[in-house]
Amino acid sequence: MKNAMPLQSACKEFEEDLVLYYYGETSEDERRRIGQHLFGCLRCQGFLGDLQRLLPQMARTEELPQSFWDNYYRETVAKLAQQDERKHWWRSLIPQMKIWMVPAFGTVAMTVLVIGLLFGKGNLSSFTLRPAEKIPHEILADENQLQFFESMDLLESLSKLQSQDEQKPEAVNTQSSRMRFQSGTV
Amino acid sequence: MRKEKLISLILGSLLLVTAQVASAAGDNWRNLTPNEKDRVLENYQRWQRLPQQDKEHLREEWNRWQRLPKDERERIKQRYDQQQRRDRHRD
Repeated sequence: MKNAMPLQSACKEFEEDLVLYYYGETSEDERRRIGQHLFGCLRCQGFLGDLQRLLPQMARTEELPQSFWDNYYRETVAKLAQQDERKHWWRSLIPQMKIWMVPAFGTVAMTVLVIGLLFGKGNLSSFTLRPAEKIPHEILADENQLQFFESMDLLESLSKLQSQDEQKPEAVNTQSSRMRFQSGTV
Repeated sequence: MRKEKLISLILGSLLLVTAQVASAAGDNWRNLTPNEKDRVLENYQRWQRLPQQDKEHLREEWNRWQRLPKDERERIKQRYDQQQRRDRHRD
């Protein structure tokens, strides 16, 4: 404020009336009464003069330049962006993912899970104790395969065993039937 | 977008099922004794060397074995184990 001088004091009983007088909100009688008082009172004249000088300035809004609003807008946008960044800081850790990457990532994760399930069940001794041994995939492909290779000896002599089971004889030499099977005579 | 989600879901389910099957086989393998493991590996190697005809015959026998009633399978298995013990004793 350029004219920040204090208001001159007016007569106590005329102070409010003078403000109304200034705004023209008094009746004709009041106006005449105040006018008569003003004629002989320097303090109230000074007070009215101050009102005429200061009140228009108070009512006037300060005009701000366009550059102020441009800066204000830029700063607000920057602050909002900063706030947003702070809220989702972890997103910067993940590179921009394309849509096909989602199933690809899922597949890789599941493969890791499969390997984990196979080898990470706490009991690694059966694998670590036999480092030289490589278990063929065909054996571990499914439960059925494992059972098949487990009972292969029995299968080779199944017909023989079955016929013995029907006749119920005592002893059978499975070794000999196996050898016959291997030689292709079964 | 919905299509991609569906494909991901199918792929994931498929892998989960595969994992379960593989895991079950892995568990069974771990539960075998060292002797049983040796026998399985030995049989596998022998299987590799078998002529195609014998392989087919064994597959048929396997299918037949699986179709047998449970009590019959148990009887045959017992008989087989008995004979194995006897053979080992003789050797």
